[in-house]
Amino acid sequence: MATGEQASPPGLATRRSLGKRFRDAIAPILASKVALVGLGLVSFWVVVAIFAPLITPYGPLEHDLEAMNLGPSLEHLLGADNLGRDLWARLIYGARTILILAPLSVFCALAVGATLGLISGYFGGWTDEVVMRLLDAIMAFPAILLYLIIIFALGPSATNVVIAITIAGTPGIARLVRSLTLDIRTREYIAAAKLRGENPFYIMFVEILPNARGPIIVDAMLRIGYAVIAIGTLGFLGVGLPPPAPDWGSMVAQGRIYIWINPWPVLWPSLAISSLVIGLNLFADGLREETMRYQ
Amino acid sequence: MAKFIVRRLLLMVLTMFLVTIIVFIILEITPGNIARRILGPFATPEQEESFRRQLGLDQPAYMRYLNFLIGSDWRAERLVGMPLRRIKRPGTEFYEWWATNKDDALIRWKLEGEDLIALRLQANGTVVESIDNDRWQTDEAGASTFWGIDLHDRAVLWTRGGQGYWVRSKGGGWWVEKAGGPQKWIPLQKGILRGDPGISVQTGRPVAGTLFRRLQNSGILAGLAFVIVMPLALVLGLIAGLNEGKTLDRILSIGGLAGTSTPSFATGIFLVLIFAIWLRLVPGVTVFASQRAILEKPEMLVLPVLTLALVELGYVLRITRASMVEVMRSDYIRTAFLKGLPYWRIVFKHALRNALMAPITVIMLHVNWLMGGLVVVEAIFGFPGLGNYIYKAGLWKDVFAVEAAAVVMVFLAVGTQLVADIIYTFLNPRIRYA
Amino acid sequence: MENIKTPVLKVENLAISYKMRRGEVPAVRDVSFEIHAGETLGLVGESGCGKSTVAFGIVNFLDRNGSILNGSILFQGQELQGQSEEELRRLRGNQISMVYQDPLASLNPCLRIGEQLSEVLIVHRGLSKEEAYEKCIEMLKGVYMPDPEAMMLRYPHQLSGGQQQRVVLAIALLNNPALLIMDEPTTALDVTVEAGVLDLIAELRREFDTTILYISHNLGVIAYVSDKVSVMYTGEIVEQASVEDIFLKPMHPYTQALMRCVPKLGESKESSYLPPIPGRVPSPMNLPPGCIFVPRCQYARQFCRQKHPELRQVVPGHFICCHFAEEIAEAEWQPPEGLVPDLTTRGRRENAAEAILEVEHVKTYYKQRGRSLISLFGLGKKQYVKAVDDVSLELPKGCTLGIVGESGCGKSTLGKTIVGLESPISGKLKFLGFDILAPVVKRDKRLVKELQMIFQNPDSTLNPSFSVGYQIGRPLRRFGKVSHNQQRKEVIRLLNAVRLDASYYNRLPRQLSGGEKQRVALARAIAAHPKLVICDEPTSSLDVSVQAAILNLLLDLQKEYDIAMIFISHDLSVIRFFSDQVAVMYLGKVCEIGPAQAIYSPPYHPYTEALLSAVPIADPCAEQKRIRLGGMVPSALNPPGGCYFHTRCPRKLGDICEEQDPPRKIAGKEHYIYCHIPLEELCKMGVVVTLPKDTKGNS
Repeated sequence: MATGEQASPPGLATRRSLGKRFRDAIAPILASKVALVGLGLVSFWVVVAIFAPLITPYGPLEHDLEAMNLGPSLEHLLGADNLGRDLWARLIYGARTILILAPLSVFCALAVGATLGLISGYFGGWTDEVVMRLLDAIMAFPAILLYLIIIFALGPSATNVVIAITIAGTPGIARLVRSLTLDIRTREYIAAAKLRGENPFYIMFVEILPNARGPIIVDAMLRIGYAVIAIGTLGFLGVGLPPPAPDWGSMVAQGRIYIWINPWPVLWPSLAISSLVIGLNLFADGLREETMRYQ
Repeated sequence: MAKFIVRRLLLMVLTMFLVTIIVFIILEITPGNIARRILGPFATPEQEESFRRQLGLDQPAYMRYLNFLIGSDWRAERLVGMPLRRIKRPGTEFYEWWATNKDDALIRWKLEGEDLIALRLQANGTVVESIDNDRWQTDEAGASTFWGIDLHDRAVLWTRGGQGYWVRSKGGGWWVEKAGGPQKWIPLQKGILRGDPGISVQTGRPVAGTLFRRLQNSGILAGLAFVIVMPLALVLGLIAGLNEGKTLDRILSIGGLAGTSTPSFATGIFLVLIFAIWLRLVPGVTVFASQRAILEKPEMLVLPVLTLALVELGYVLRITRASMVEVMRSDYIRTAFLKGLPYWRIVFKHALRNALMAPITVIMLHVNWLMGGLVVVEAIFGFPGLGNYIYKAGLWKDVFAVEAAAVVMVFLAVGTQLVADIIYTFLNPRIRYA
Repeated sequence: MENIKTPVLKVENLAISYKMRRGEVPAVRDVSFEIHAGETLGLVGESGCGKSTVAFGIVNFLDRNGSILNGSILFQGQELQGQSEEELRRLRGNQISMVYQDPLASLNPCLRIGEQLSEVLIVHRGLSKEEAYEKCIEMLKGVYMPDPEAMMLRYPHQLSGGQQQRVVLAIALLNNPALLIMDEPTTALDVTVEAGVLDLIAELRREFDTTILYISHNLGVIAYVSDKVSVMYTGEIVEQASVEDIFLKPMHPYTQALMRCVPKLGESKESSYLPPIPGRVPSPMNLPPGCIFVPRCQYARQFCRQKHPELRQVVPGHFICCHFAEEIAEAEWQPPEGLVPDLTTRGRRENAAEAILEVEHVKTYYKQRGRSLISLFGLGKKQYVKAVDDVSLELPKGCTLGIVGESGCGKSTLGKTIVGLESPISGKLKFLGFDILAPVVKRDKRLVKELQMIFQNPDSTLNPSFSVGYQIGRPLRRFGKVSHNQQRKEVIRLLNAVRLDASYYNRLPRQLSGGEKQRVALARAIAAHPKLVICDEPTSSLDVSVQAAILNLLLDLQKEYDIAMIFISHDLSVIRFFSDQVAVMYLGKVCEIGPAQAIYSPPYHPYTEALLSAVPIADPCAEQKRIRLGGMVPSALNPPGGCYFHTRCPRKLGDICEEQDPPRKIAGKEHYIYCHIPLEELCKMGVVVTLPKDTKGNS
């Protein structure tokens, strides 16, 4: 029986092996130069953070009194601060902190926000109205204000920083996921799922969520960038991690006092934050353009 | 369109209502105990308990929320049995609560030993003291009690020869145990809706006065930054968008990205390093001798404004660029080209208005970020603005000041968004003629 | 030839390619044609054949990654290639105008209609604003725009689709261009609106003597508007001739095959068969070395595989790109062996009288937020969109009911109400004797299984995140049809049933073509062996050659699984071909229902008559009555009183139509017409469409 366009085009694999899946997943990254540059910047920090003890002979809290306030030298690659602590060591140990806290807080916000957004968008009606009004109210706060009052209420600590960023980030994510849900909800495969009598949570989490992942991942990258700045800012304001943890923001705050003698302790962590955030942004931009092209 | 605006207004009222609840919940009901937060770890349980009651923290949460929202004076009025008034003490900047006696004299009380002393305010601002023991009333248990106003703007239930209480001296730290007297306190305030968010724990003065001046200062700072940034960012963004993919666009986009990706505190510090320490062109900190100094010494504003502007510039630029790029790719721009219109006519007549619609909403939403920047910038330069006020109040654990400042700040943010919505309505004929 | 003068447009050896990440895509290759003054050239082809690229190539306005590699474009004897941007600009909108598909998107949402019209005159002619405005109003009158003065002040979103397209046409015609390029100008419109716009184009052509390049995928439309036709296939012109020659004596195997797979109005599944074109369109990146049609050509020989044919004149005025054009005669075409099914078994079975679905007085309304201020507080009068308003029908077992109507008539909502995706506010719905008024979430699983649906859009019918196998297997798991270890086998069996092989099991939807996606959707729908399948425009996003294949498949499966079907479509030919019974809907109501054959012959409901007269027919010799509906479809929020159709009805009797609901008239066995006009009058109506040498349908 002859049928239209049955012949399968050559070159399409019949089985999707794990390797192929992986290649499929990273294809858009490799295709975009912008995304690659971004990925490079981010991976630089990830790698130095992971291998921190192997990369520097100094500990982040170790004092070298002879090197106090000295600029970059062979001994101390990036110089040392006013207490003679090696800046490179502090920088890469600081990267550890920030690379755990920032993604963690965004992940928490994602879990809460995506759930609320799905529920709100899928059910609509009163549920939607109540959830969105509440989230609107949280969103009305300038983020830093919310961080300040939450940390003021709970006290400065790593956990509370994560809680603060989670609360502040949830509404934005929920809004995004809700709008994606509203769009995907009208797709025909959702109707097909309803016609199989699937329960709403299966539809939300299995049928809708995976198809919203593109924009969510892009958004999450940008949010990790914001979180890095936020954690830095809180550190700078002295309400982030308690000292003497090697936190990029508080490094700047301490270095600031001696800036007219030795600007390096301010320069390096500032550059570190900028480069990490730029990397995340470029990565997100590249990813967004590529996924749009794929659709 | 009227419907759209009314809907927005209603939503704004609802949002603000929810915001006050959120602020209240975070600051007053979270597990952290306010009294302990203020007092620190060294206060004894008795001291803490006494302190809590003096701040009215022993009242149930909903009652405290009502105090915060619409004031406590109306409740205290019923207990005292006299109209209460908040006045500015002649010759000072301070507001004080007084009860109005039948003879229209303003009156407050204090307890000395077992004697109730009435203080009457004279027209010239002085106070005349007299013993006023007639006011004692006997309750069911036989004790002599009296509801009055004390010298710290609280409605107080005094009991003759009652239990002692702890008083913290000015500036914190010192504790003095005072014998006999007050049993219940209701701190007096008109509530945030009536323009009186309460008394600062730190200074003992009403928050409203300080807040208003800080608001003015921040307004000048943010306003200047806004006026500089907006035209610049929009123009640069449009230029970048029109030259999509070309070198000029690359430079502007990457510049914008670098601007948004650098935290404002870093930008600020380096501006200080370059312009104040190395070049010595402008002062690096803002120290104001008087209220009006902000206008008398405009050079002090240069660096804060510049920092704020740099932080915003990149963001707005990027949004405008993206919007312009999208519009230039749209079908109706293609139609305009195919109509044979000259390039600049297409840009100005067909593209510009559509391209500006998206940024306007986003920019106004971005007021939130501007305020975030304000907190940091003001903290760096010691600028006496709203952001700095919140930050300092936070460090001093000044709960009511933080509450008030937070609500004011959110109100400003929501208000500007409303303005943005209305502007958007006028720009977009689809809503205007819906 | 009558035109010895220089042609208005002469395109020679045009080649256009796009730079893609995976390399250069030669979208258009070696295309040549000419159009003389006053002539209309129809450029027809399936999606992706490069016809729009040709259009944008002519005005040199390609996407940024596209470029003209080769060829010359002579406009009134003047070479356009290599002209400066400024010179081209002066031509565009002045000498060459262009109209393309989506009228709303092509109008600036922020500018008033008047401004968008007048600026063409101001820029190209240097007229003053007042002069320009006057001319524009005249032009709007010329395109039959109601109330042109008021229209000038409106914004695009305040106009209906038909009006928007009229505005776009007016803009294009303002400077009386020498060449008008139209790229699918009516594709987004409903048939009755489309017919109006096509009439307008024909009239303007006579009036202004404009030369037109008309691009469309719709053979019917092309037959209606064109003098000459060029058929494109993957970037090349394969046949070019006068419109009569193309449609009556097609010579290229592709053109012949294309003509065969379009259902003609009046043909039914009992009387004819639609042979699909085997294989699929090759990707322009991966073209066969010889003739590009070889992989799908029935007549292909060894020689065809080696040498690429040239477009050559075989008969005077008839150009064909085929080595053996002379040897291929359409009349002698025989379908490949074993292809023709037994047509007699495809019809409705007589013994199936028992009703599987009963719909009685069903109403599905949507709540609409009011416009007044008080509605913000939930006060004020509640408004309803009456999407389905009092519909009754019955469907016998194993039968197919076609529902036809224009967009917004409620046909999809009716389908969704039956499957339970929408909830009716009143009425009776019975399926297999069970009450199914409840939405699908509240229905019994066993009942849910029996009712499935196939959707319109192949790109959204499958979940892009899951493999084909998973998606077909899901209903098997849900309804426990087969044991777990049998599942894969069963899925492959279903794949085979929709003529796909087992290699599709692990594919993701984005690796499939539109037709293949629809097949998978079909497999998913029948996986649980439902008793009733609702097909909501399942072929309207597909090319005709693919549509034929899907229609055949649906018929085969229906017979094999004994499925009753409701087939929803706006395409009257497809409905006629596919259905046993047809219901015509207008504004939420059924206005005529009956056996398919009866619907397509008198007596008609006046609306059915108008619909039939508006269908573009792929036969330039067909005779068709010309009935055009005036006015706009009223809002379903506020339908007119009495007969809903009275506002546009050309046969309106008088007040009775405005005041009373139309009575049900029995026009024949199971044939009902809802109309005030006496039956005798209706019976006097003439046949709307007469096909030449009409031997089959349309009795």
